[in-house]
Amino acid sequence: MILAQATNPIIRWEYLRDEWDKVRTALIQHIELTLLAVALGLVVASVLAAIALRYRWTANPITTFTAFVYTIPSVALFGLLVPYTGVSRTTAVIPLVGYTLLILVTSILTGFRSVPPAVRDAAEGMGLSPARRVFTVELPLAVPYIITGIRVATVTTVGLVTVAAIVGEGGLGRLILDGLRRTFWTPMTVGASLSIILALVLDLSLWGLGRALTPWTRRGGPQRAATR
Amino acid sequence: MAACSLLTAACGSSDKKADTGGSTTATTVAGPGIKIRGQDFSESATIAQVYGQYLKAKGYTVDILTPAGFRDEAIAALKSGAVNLIVDYIGGDATALAPDTKVTAEPDQVLGVIKPAFAAIGATVLEYSEATDGDAFVVRGDSPAAKISDVKNLDTVLGASPQCETRPQCYIGFTDPAVYGITFKEYKKIDFGPQLGEALSAKEVDAVVWNTTAPQIKEKGFKVLEDDKRLFPAQNVAPIVSTSVNTAYGSKLAADLDALSNAITTDDLVAWNVETDVKFRESDAVATEWLKKKGLD
Amino acid sequence: MILVAAAQAVRRDIGLWEWLFDAGTWTGRNGILATAGDTVRLCAAVIATSALIAVPLGAFLAHIRRGELAATWVVNVGRAIPTFALAGLLVPISLRWGYGFEPWPVFVALTLLSVPPIFLTTFTAVSQVDPVVVDAARGMGLEDRRVLLRVELALALSVILTGVRVAAVQAVATEPIRAFLGGGGLGGYLRDGLGQNNDTLVLGGAILVAALAALTGAAFGVFERVIVPKGVRRLRRAGDRGSSHNGEDHERASVQVSEAADPVGSLQLADGGLR
Repeated sequence: MILAQATNPIIRWEYLRDEWDKVRTALIQHIELTLLAVALGLVVASVLAAIALRYRWTANPITTFTAFVYTIPSVALFGLLVPYTGVSRTTAVIPLVGYTLLILVTSILTGFRSVPPAVRDAAEGMGLSPARRVFTVELPLAVPYIITGIRVATVTTVGLVTVAAIVGEGGLGRLILDGLRRTFWTPMTVGASLSIILALVLDLSLWGLGRALTPWTRRGGPQRAATR
Repeated sequence: MAACSLLTAACGSSDKKADTGGSTTATTVAGPGIKIRGQDFSESATIAQVYGQYLKAKGYTVDILTPAGFRDEAIAALKSGAVNLIVDYIGGDATALAPDTKVTAEPDQVLGVIKPAFAAIGATVLEYSEATDGDAFVVRGDSPAAKISDVKNLDTVLGASPQCETRPQCYIGFTDPAVYGITFKEYKKIDFGPQLGEALSAKEVDAVVWNTTAPQIKEKGFKVLEDDKRLFPAQNVAPIVSTSVNTAYGSKLAADLDALSNAITTDDLVAWNVETDVKFRESDAVATEWLKKKGLD
Repeated sequence: MILVAAAQAVRRDIGLWEWLFDAGTWTGRNGILATAGDTVRLCAAVIATSALIAVPLGAFLAHIRRGELAATWVVNVGRAIPTFALAGLLVPISLRWGYGFEPWPVFVALTLLSVPPIFLTTFTAVSQVDPVVVDAARGMGLEDRRVLLRVELALALSVILTGVRVAAVQAVATEPIRAFLGGGGLGGYLRDGLGQNNDTLVLGGAILVAALAALTGAAFGVFERVIVPKGVRRLRRAGDRGSSHNGEDHERASVQVSEAADPVGSLQLADGGLR
């Protein structure tokens, strides 16, 4: 007896209608995880970058360490944590944060290092305390580089969250994995497409935020397109 | 045909709405909330939905968690309290909890092995169902073999999960001269169920270790070989509940669960898999429909 | 992966060092050397193909001064595509068409992953070339196409190589997905370790992949140093630090864009003489 296989097109539109709750939950979870990982990553990266800037000799080891973490296959990191932190959000977040560090640390470092020494000297000459100098003079100049780093980290994280599906917390990755397990195209297509769209939307929003925060880079006609 | 499936879809969604209406009826059974979680494959997800929705209808407070992980994660979650009810296959549990103890195809013998093992981590194994999802050694329909011993004389590429490699009742048993003594030409490690069928059809592999309730076996005209040396253990479905939760309900929870376990048959498992893996319906809808049909909702 | 007769699976309780230092782990048909070779072969093919696609495309678009917008978006989309999902989607197709589990699904997915960084750095490199040099070359009577080939690509070579290096490291680090889709390569240790609950295999596999990725990066670094003339490297560093004619904004954008492709490399450039 041969059972008739239900049609398995690239995307079955009824799935979106019937399983909208599931898709929406997955999307929301995906966004939450991404934002959480990048935010936490930014905090950790700021600390690491501050150390690297203050104590020059630590810059190399810190960068090497974050680069090393970046090359560890994500599946391995998730898998290694499961026996310790179980199948939970923590198991998903820790590696996700780890993978943002390389990009965020290097962009913060590049940003601060790009401040022309003349500007730094002028600020010191004006009698500003180191803290005020960092936050009111150097940080704004570093912002474009930091924003670029955050954009790259966010897009990368969106992709990595799909892998976190193997520990049950993958947002859209759960749809993709479900499709893989049943060889059912629709959730795979929906999951993959939405994650690409999400990445592009987040990237665009951050770009807009970057432009809003740094009005001085918008000056200049034909170079406007070039200032992204 | 199209009208039928449209109708089913419509019925499915209105059933869902009715369900949400029905489950706002107050929980009538006082006691700790039940937390159940299936493993990350369709059959386990459907089973968890069936047991979860059944208990909900009976008035328990139930949280059906998103399926995640496999047996090791399920047992760890039971131990840690992240879940307090799992439904698993007794043979697989024996392999996981008592890997050095020999288990047979006799369900009572297997139960005797896993009951104390689970008791040691604070869980109670309830009555097992007649429904089984056992290991299946599957070949293409045109293969000359009829039982697994026949494979010895054929040049066979094996396709199986990576887990099979370290299991005495899987790869180790197949290659053990004292059991089957088969020498495979190659062992390809394949992770996803349906891919086993695809690989077999495409002649990438000549034999796969699958499970007896996989609907694609019949669908693609494959053959399940007889386990003549009785290597595979009994794999009846059985609910395992946290001991403290079980005692909190006296004998009521166990009785309710046993009633359900007695109502499930192997054919039901296959039917559920057809719905989720061939017709691509979702586990929760399939469970709701089955419970309604059986009058258990 | 061929197992002969009753070859033993790796014991669950074996320690990491014990496993790594056992000669049997390294040699033989499914030893580390053989599987690493498998990985390297696939990644080499991927990088070669991606470069063949991305370099001409990037160079051409930069030369005709179009597609700066497209450049950044190509990179973004490329980064956003879930590689594993794409490869997984292609496996059943590959099986049904008789091509087996490998190499096509993972090859296609990895190539798609590798094209953006190479495209981006090629585009950036070629568009950053000092117009004065191009004018001078034109003045010497060289035709347009030969201008492109000689001047722009020569100067851009070192930057393009950075992109190829980034793509290569990324490809090696992502290639383990192959093992989860019925294939071979270093990812096999991860797959087996995760499936069999063997932490040594998971750790060992992860370390091996990371080590191979680092080795790949280092190898390309050496290669760059060897084939790019010192003068060109110095020129590039000066250009990135702002002595180009195109103006501060453009230079900053280019730096941003090449940093997006290679955070570590860019940091090295930005340091100038600090390292």
